Amino acid sequence: MFFLHNLERRVTLHPSYFGRNMHELVTTKLVKDVEGTCAGDYYIIAIMDAFDVSEGRILPGNGLAEFTVKYRAVVWRPFKGEVVDAIVFSINPHGFFCQAGPLSIFVSSHLMPEEIHFDPNATPPQFTNNADMVIEPGTHVRVKIGGLRTELGEMYAIGSINGDFLGCLQA
Amino acid sequence: MASNSWQFAGDGDESDDDNFNPAPADMSDDENNDKDEEHNHNHRPAGKTVRQASSPVPDEEEEEEEEHDEEEDARPAKRSRRDHHDDEDEEQDEEENEEIDEEEEEEEEEEEDEEDEDDVHGGNRRKRRNKDRRAAFFDIEAEVDDEDEGEDEVGDGEEIEDFIDNAHPDDIADSGRLNDDRRHRELDRRREMEASLDAEKQAEILRERYGKRAPARGYGDMAIVPRRLLLPSVEDPSIWAVRCKEGKEREVIFSIMRRIEERMGTKNEVPITAAFERGGVNSVMKGYIYVEAQRQNDILVALDGILNVYPRSNMHLVEIKDMPDLLRVIKTPNLEPGAWVRLKKPAKHAGDLAQVIDVTENGLEARVRFIPRLDYGVRDDPVFQADGKRKRPGVPGPRPPQRLFSEAEARKRHPRYLQGNPQTNSWNYNGDDFENGFQVKDIKIQQLEVKNVNPSLEEVTKFASGAEDGTENLDLKALAATLKDSAKSVAYVPGDIIEVYEGEQQGVIGKATNVQGDIVTLQVTEGDLAGRTIDVPNKGLRKRFRIGDHVKVIGGSRFRDEVGMVVKIVDDRVTLLTDQTNTEITVFSKDLREASDIGGQGSLGQYSLLDLVQLDATTVGCIVKVDRESVVVLDQNGDTKQVQPSQITNKLPKRKFAVAADRNGSEIRLDDVVREYGGQQRQGKIIHIHRSYIFLHTTTTNENAGVFVTRANSVTTVAAKGGRNTATAGPDLSAMNPALKRNPAANGKQMAAPRTFGPDRAINQTVVIRRGGHKGLLGIVKDTTDTHARVELHSKGKIITIPKADLSFKDKITGKTIDINQRGGSRGGFGGGGGGRGGGEFGSRTPMASGGSDRTPAWGSSRSTARTPAWNRDAGGSRTPAWNDGSRTVNAYDGSRTPYGGATAYGGIGSRTPAWHSGSRTPAPDGFGHGSKTPAWSAGSDSWGSKTPGYGASAPTPGASGDAWGYTPGASGGGNSSSAYDAPTPGGGLSAPTPGPYSAPTPAAVSAPTPGAWQGGWGSGDAVSAPTPGALGAPTPAAYYSAPTPAAYGGVAETPGGPGYADDD
Repeated sequence: MFFLHNLERRVTLHPSYFGRNMHELVTTKLVKDVEGTCAGDYYIIAIMDAFDVSEGRILPGNGLAEFTVKYRAVVWRPFKGEVVDAIVFSINPHGFFCQAGPLSIFVSSHLMPEEIHFDPNATPPQFTNNADMVIEPGTHVRVKIGGLRTELGEMYAIGSINGDFLGCLQA
Repeated sequence: MASNSWQFAGDGDESDDDNFNPAPADMSDDENNDKDEEHNHNHRPAGKTVRQASSPVPDEEEEEEEEHDEEEDARPAKRSRRDHHDDEDEEQDEEENEEIDEEEEEEEEEEEDEEDEDDVHGGNRRKRRNKDRRAAFFDIEAEVDDEDEGEDEVGDGEEIEDFIDNAHPDDIADSGRLNDDRRHRELDRRREMEASLDAEKQAEILRERYGKRAPARGYGDMAIVPRRLLLPSVEDPSIWAVRCKEGKEREVIFSIMRRIEERMGTKNEVPITAAFERGGVNSVMKGYIYVEAQRQNDILVALDGILNVYPRSNMHLVEIKDMPDLLRVIKTPNLEPGAWVRLKKPAKHAGDLAQVIDVTENGLEARVRFIPRLDYGVRDDPVFQADGKRKRPGVPGPRPPQRLFSEAEARKRHPRYLQGNPQTNSWNYNGDDFENGFQVKDIKIQQLEVKNVNPSLEEVTKFASGAEDGTENLDLKALAATLKDSAKSVAYVPGDIIEVYEGEQQGVIGKATNVQGDIVTLQVTEGDLAGRTIDVPNKGLRKRFRIGDHVKVIGGSRFRDEVGMVVKIVDDRVTLLTDQTNTEITVFSKDLREASDIGGQGSLGQYSLLDLVQLDATTVGCIVKVDRESVVVLDQNGDTKQVQPSQITNKLPKRKFAVAADRNGSEIRLDDVVREYGGQQRQGKIIHIHRSYIFLHTTTTNENAGVFVTRANSVTTVAAKGGRNTATAGPDLSAMNPALKRNPAANGKQMAAPRTFGPDRAINQTVVIRRGGHKGLLGIVKDTTDTHARVELHSKGKIITIPKADLSFKDKITGKTIDINQRGGSRGGFGGGGGGRGGGEFGSRTPMASGGSDRTPAWGSSRSTARTPAWNRDAGGSRTPAWNDGSRTVNAYDGSRTPYGGATAYGGIGSRTPAWHSGSRTPAPDGFGHGSKTPAWSAGSDSWGSKTPGYGASAPTPGASGDAWGYTPGASGGGNSSSAYDAPTPGGGLSAPTPGPYSAPTPAAVSAPTPGAWQGGWGSGDAVSAPTPGALGAPTPAAYYSAPTPAAYGGVAETPGGPGYADDD
C-alpha cells in the first residue's frame, strides 16, 4: 500500500561544497541517497519535497556538515495479505519468483491451485494448468502476499496464487 | 466399601433414635440410601410388630436371621441399638437370647460375612430363601400378614434397585412356588386388586415402582463423574505394599487370583479387595505387590503360604494421596519398525545405534540391524599373541571399529564359519547374521535403549548410505519419531505459539508465557478459553506456525540453522523456503522457531557464502552452500564439491580492484554485469575475478546459489559498474569536491617540473632519517635521484640510500627543521628579501585572504577572456610580471616556490599554480557537475565564483599582463576595460589582502606599483623589485588607490578592500 510519509534524515555534505546553494545540494543528495531504497519494511518510492532543512552542523573530525532534513516521500509498504501485480522473472520446480516493483516474491508450488503443475519440458519451463494459465518468465501475475521478510535494505515475500482472481493476468 | 455403608446405616439408625431394628439385610443390599431406610421403617415396623405379637418363635427366628446380617455391624453400634430397645420387654428377652446365640455363631458367621462381601446379592438371596426354607418348618401359614410380607418384599424390590430379580412380581411368584402355594394365592389376590384399580392409578403405581430406578443407581453409573470424587478417601480400603521377590510380582498376583477363586464361596474367603503389581524391569515399583484390604491382618491371611511374597517382613501402608499414582499408566515406548534404538547388551556394541527391523508378536524382542564390530579374528590370530598365551575369551579388548560386514574379509580368515547367499547378500558368520553388511540380531527389548536415542546425523547416514542401491533412503518419519521421544529435544520458549494436539486440552492454541520443566504455561489466544492462562505438560504440544512465518530451524534436523519462510504446513511437518538458497525443506515444527529477521547460516567458521577459497595450489572455488560441518564449493572448472573447512587452504580476499578483459577487450571489474558470449548466455554480476576465471552471481537460478563460473574472455559486458555510476550519479557530496580533489595530483605534477631545473637542493643538506631501520640517524645527503637520496651517516660513515620522503632536512647550525626549498627560494630569489619578509611567515594566510571577493570585479569583467590568454600564455609568460607577482604571491602561498618563480617562467605561474589550477579547472570541462557553481563562477558574484576566478585571475592576470605587455592590446581589446580588469586583479585580488592581515603597507606597496605597472607599462615591470620593499613607506594611500581602480567597474571593488581589512582586524 502506498503512503505519503513524513520522514527525517541526516544528510552530510563535504565542506568543499559549502556555498550558497548548499540546500540544493543537500536535497539532491537526499534524493540520491534515499529514493528507491528499502527502509526496513517499506520502500521509499519518491521524495515529494524536503520541507525542512536544518542548519548545518560541522561534524568534528572530518569537517562534513550535517543537515537534518525533513522530507515527505511516497512510500510503499507491502502487507501480508495484500494483493499485488507482479512480473515473473524466474521459474524453478518449487515455484516461481516474481517482481512487484522492487519486491521479489516467491510463489511456492504449494501455494498454487491444485491443477497448476510444473512443466519442465516446455521452453522455457513453465507452470501451467494445461489451459489458459501459463506462467513463465515475463508473465504478469496477480499474487497475494503471504509473508514478508525484511533484511537490511532488502525485502522478500512469499505469495500465493491460490484464490479467486489470483494468478495469470490476461493481457 | 460395602462394610462402610453398613456402618453408615447403623449410625443413621442410632441418630434417628429409632425403636425398631433396622433391616440390615436390606441395608446391606443398598448402598446407603437414607430414603430407603425410611421406607424400611414404614414397612418393617408393621410386619415386625405383628410377628412379634403373633408368634415369638418365628420372630425369634427372624431376629436371628437378621442378626446374622447385623453381625457385620460393629458390635458397639449394635449394643447401643439394644439399649434403645430396653423399654420393650419382649424384645429385651429376645435380645438376651440372641446374645448367647451370637457368641456361638460368631465364627461361622464371619465366614458368611465374607461371602456376603464378595457377593452381596447372592448371599442375601440365599438367606432370603433360607428364611423361607426354614420358615417351612414353622407354621407360618397362620400368619395374618402374609400380604404385608409380600408387600414388604415388593417394597424391597422397589427400593433396593439392585434386586432386580426380586423386584419383579413374577420373581416373587417364582420363589414362592418353590416353597408352597401361598405365593400363588397372594399373587392372585394382588392381580385382582390391581385389576380393580383404574388404569391411571395403575400407571401411577408402576411409575412409582419403576420410575425411580435409573436415578437411584448411584453415581457409579452416571455418565459424567467428576474425577476427584472417584479418588480414594479414608473410608475406602487401604493399600499395602508387600515385598515380594523381584521379577515374581506377576506370579504372586496370579497365585492370589487362584486362591481367591479357590476359596470363593467357602468359609475362608480371601479377605482382600484387590491386589496388583507394577513390576517390570525398569519399574521403580518392582519387588512389591500392592494389596488392597480393610485391615492389615486380612492381607496376612490372604497371602499366607503364597510363594515369593513376604507379607511378614515389612508392609508399607500406601498413603491415600499416593494411591492414584500407583495406577498411573506409564506409556511403554512403542517400538516401530524403522525406529532408532541404542544397544545396551552385547558389550561390544554398547551404545551403538541400531535400527529396528521388526518387533516380535509378544513385544519382548526386537529384530534390529546395526553396524558390526568385527575383527574377523585378527586378534585371535596366534601371530598377535606375543606371549603365546591364549586370550581369555570373556575379556573384551579394545573393541573393533564399526564397519560393514565384508564377505571377502570373512572368507579370508574364516572360510569355514561363513555361509550365506551372495544373491541376497545375507550371510551367517560365526553364528551371527549379516544382511547387506549390517548385523541383524534379535535382541530383548530390555537390552535396547529406546528413549533419548538422539541419533546423530552421521550415525544415521551410515545406515542410509548402506542401502543396496546406494540411494539415500532415510526414513525421516521414523527418525522424527525417535527424536520426538527424546525429552530434551523439545524446547519451548516463552513467546512460542503452541498448539495442544493431545490430551484433555486438545485443540487449544496459545502463546507460551512461561516454561518450567515439563510444564508450559499458555496464554490461550483462540477459542472459548481465549485470554485464560493454562498449564499444560509439554508432552502433547507442538509449535504452531502460519504460512509466511519467518522461521529458523533449530534442534536435531540436518537443516539446522536454516532460515526461511513457511510455505506449507501439514500436521507438524512444515515446509519452508530457505533464505539462503531458495530451496524448500521440510522439517518438524518442533525443530522450528520464529526467526529474528536476520538471516542466519551464511558462514561456517571464517568461510561464508560466496567467498572465494583456495582448495589447492591450482584450484580455487566459490562457496555456494554452507552446511553445518561442511561447505559446498564451486571450483573454477565448474564442478561442485563438498569440502570440510579443514580442506580449504585459505580464503582469498576479495580484490576490489581486480580487472579483467572481456572478449571485446573491455575492462571488467567486480560488480559489473556481464553475459556469457556463447553457451547458455547466462548473465550475472561478477563476484570474483581470479586469473582468467570469473565467478558470476545471478538471481535467475538457484542452482549453486546462483553462482556460475566462466572465463573472462568468454563474456561481454552488459553494464559496467563504473559507467553506470557516472551516468546516474552526481558527485559524491560526502567526499571531496572532485574538482578540488584532483588538484593535489595536478599540483604535484605541476610542481615536479621545476625540479628538473638545477641541482637538487637536497644535496649537501643535513638530514635526519625519519623512518625505517635508520630512523633518527643524522647524515648528509651526498647524492639524489628523483625519489631517493644517498645519505652519508654521521654515525657510521656509511652511505645509504633512503627515500627522500623519509628525510627531514635540518639546519646545519641550529638543527632546526627547515625546508630546503624555501631556503633555496630566499637565496635564489631576486626580490626574495622583500618577499620573504612580506609573506614568509604569513604567507599561509594569503590564500584565505584571497578568498575575499576583491578579485571578483576583476574577474567579473575579465571573464574567461582574461583567463584564457593568461592560461595559454603563462608558459611563455615573460618573467617580469611573474616576478612581480611571484615575489608577492609566492610568499603568500608558499615561500618554497618562490625560487622557481624567480628562476623560471614557471615561477609566476608555479607560484600561483594551486590557486590558479583550481580556478581553471573548476569551470573546466570536467566541471563541478553542478550548474550552481558554473553560473556562480561566471557571474563572479558569489564566493565560488569569486574564489575561482580569483585564483585564476590572479595568476593569469599578471602572467597575462606580463605577456600582455607584448600582448595586452590584443587581449584587452576593449582597451580601457581590459586594463581595468587586469589592474585590479593583481592588486586588489591577491596582493592587497595578502599582506593585509600582516601589515597594511605591504599590500599597499604591492597594489600601488601594480596599477602603476599597468598604467605605466614597462616601467613598472622594471620597477618590480623596488616597489615591494620600498612600498613600505607609503603604502596606505596606495591601497586606497588600488581600491578605486576596481571601483571603476562598480562598487564591487570596494567590497574586497573592505572585507580584506575587516578580516585582518
